[in-house]
Amino acid sequence: MLTQQIVNGLALGAIYALIALGYTLVYGILAMINFAHSEVLMLGSFAALGLAAFAPAAFGTGPLALAGLFAAGMLAAGALNAFIERFAYRPLRAVSRLAPLISAIGVSIILQNAVFLWVSDQSVAFPQPIAIRQIPLFGGAQISSLQAVTLAAALILMALLHFVVEKTRIGKAMRACADDLEAAGLMGVDADVVIAATFFIGGALGGAAGVLYSMSYGSTKYNLGFLPGAKAFTAAVLGGIGNVRGAVLGGFILGFLEVLAAGYIPNGAQWRDVIAFSVLILVLLVRPSGLLGEKLAEKV
Amino acid sequence: MAKTSRGVRASRRAAWLLCAAALCACGPRDHSVIIAVAAPLTGDTGAEGQGIKRAVIMAVEEANASHRFPYKIEAKPFDDRADPKEAVNVANLIISDPRIVAVVGHYTSGCSIPAAKVYARAPIAMISPGATTPEVTLQQLSPDWIGPRVVFRDVATDDVQGAAAAQFAYNRLGKRRMALVHDKTPYGQGIAEQFQKTFEALGGKVVSFDGISVGDRDFKALLTKIKDSSDRPQGIYFGGLYTEAGLILVQMRELGLKAPFVFMSDDGAQSPVLYEVAGDAADGAYLTTIGVPVEELPSAQDFIRRYKKRWTGASQDIKPFDHFGYEAAQIVLDALAQAGVPPDREKVLAALPGVRHKGILGETVFDDKGDTQNKIVTMTRARAKDRAFPSVR
Repeated sequence: MLTQQIVNGLALGAIYALIALGYTLVYGILAMINFAHSEVLMLGSFAALGLAAFAPAAFGTGPLALAGLFAAGMLAAGALNAFIERFAYRPLRAVSRLAPLISAIGVSIILQNAVFLWVSDQSVAFPQPIAIRQIPLFGGAQISSLQAVTLAAALILMALLHFVVEKTRIGKAMRACADDLEAAGLMGVDADVVIAATFFIGGALGGAAGVLYSMSYGSTKYNLGFLPGAKAFTAAVLGGIGNVRGAVLGGFILGFLEVLAAGYIPNGAQWRDVIAFSVLILVLLVRPSGLLGEKLAEKV
Repeated sequence: MAKTSRGVRASRRAAWLLCAAALCACGPRDHSVIIAVAAPLTGDTGAEGQGIKRAVIMAVEEANASHRFPYKIEAKPFDDRADPKEAVNVANLIISDPRIVAVVGHYTSGCSIPAAKVYARAPIAMISPGATTPEVTLQQLSPDWIGPRVVFRDVATDDVQGAAAAQFAYNRLGKRRMALVHDKTPYGQGIAEQFQKTFEALGGKVVSFDGISVGDRDFKALLTKIKDSSDRPQGIYFGGLYTEAGLILVQMRELGLKAPFVFMSDDGAQSPVLYEVAGDAADGAYLTTIGVPVEELPSAQDFIRRYKKRWTGASQDIKPFDHFGYEAAQIVLDALAQAGVPPDREKVLAALPGVRHKGILGETVFDDKGDTQNKIVTMTRARAKDRAFPSVR
């Protein structure tokens, strides 16, 4: 059973990690928590759903459909996140640190209720373009095809993010802005463009997570993002908010903690959140800046 | 500077709007009779509340169109957001409006329990179309209860349903070992506890009793534990609503928990949306429903048809508690008919215990607690191919 639970934890943790990256990227540059992020991932999932409904023939089954869903979810969520930044956060950037935070909560409420009122107030079926099969692993454990896709997609996206941040010009600019926004501006980096790009990338990762999350469980809903968003935020803090590797580490740790609590503690399913958050508090008491928060000076 | 003047203009416009609103409020007072609908209209259970609101509005519109009453009746919605604190605010608002003669609501047990105390002070009658925790009406029998008995409901309580499901599992399906899961709400946990009580009294064994969080989507860890349990459970009984029920079904099947391993649940899970969440995985699930299934009653067929004709909007399809809301409104209308002209709260409250209403739920008569005596529970089995819930005979 342990190997099976590890598989479950990996798949859940991968989704948390993808969402946590969105929080941490934004925090790394602006030192602000984007509370609308959970709605961005929800809308990513609805954008993919919209595409599937718009072109059901092209998006029936197979890898092409899978790629199409990801593309729609990621582009829409990325664009939306950049749009939110432009109109809800940028005008408030110079005002105070609290104003964008409140603005973010407002955006979150608006988006959630907009979907509730105009799209659907109920769960909607989400396409599963690959056949659900159980692939046997060692030790009697199995990984479902959906879990395999989730893990693979998450790892590819994380590798891609690593490449963008470390090896490209925009990545270098992002790191510079994370170090010191003003100094980067003085050196000729267009901070507005870099921030918009960061929001786009964070949003796109959230959109991918939204697609994976709703595909894994076969449905989506207007409040889909709330709980994973809150947990991924926790994961980002656990790993050290602002730190990319920390977000990934935190996501997987949280996934494992939840799965192990639900699987091994008698009647533990109802305590899984309590256990996960207790560990968070303990870690923060010992390391207030999170697991990897201090080790690396660079925040992105 | 430009910014300031824009701000001033905006605030001036707001001031005008306020004046206009104030004028409207002071306009000529109409003398219509109002039935309040207190339900969550926003938030997580907002969809169910909106459905109940539509059902009550429809009942009132039909009554007005039939000229059954010499006065105009109006349904006025109040949003309790499924929050007990807000429910008390809403209840105070309702009792302060003398035109309101009765309340259809609240939807959740958590809201109904505190709101009922406010209504008893007025006193004004409330008929809940959704609160199934026994406490909702039982509290009226306590010596601390201030005021007359004002709470009625047209849904059967959790003890009836949980017990019926346990008997079905033990006697009809021959199950001896069941795993219990609930959603940690008074409804879900209550119904699971009732299942446990009856199942153990019959001689069955409850191998595990776990709570899950509403809003969570991943239950694989719990289901893996149930699957690998050394007690070899033969099925899951879930106390909760359709979203979580559907998610459990999907993940259960994914992990290979298939027939003869059964999934059983309650009327909260018996919703068309279950098929949205679970798809074909819902097939074969056993779900109890109160009364006879709506689809199998000719009168309800007619209700469904009228409902679909009246409400055609994108998310205005029938929700699981709409027929209880409609029926509650019909019962209030029956009491109004007996209350004379002009009707008032006291007369409506006095008439309610005597109402025998034959409608889409069968015959509803209240016992002395205010609970419906219509306690028939039917077992239904999900059939995915036409997304129906035919009853098991």
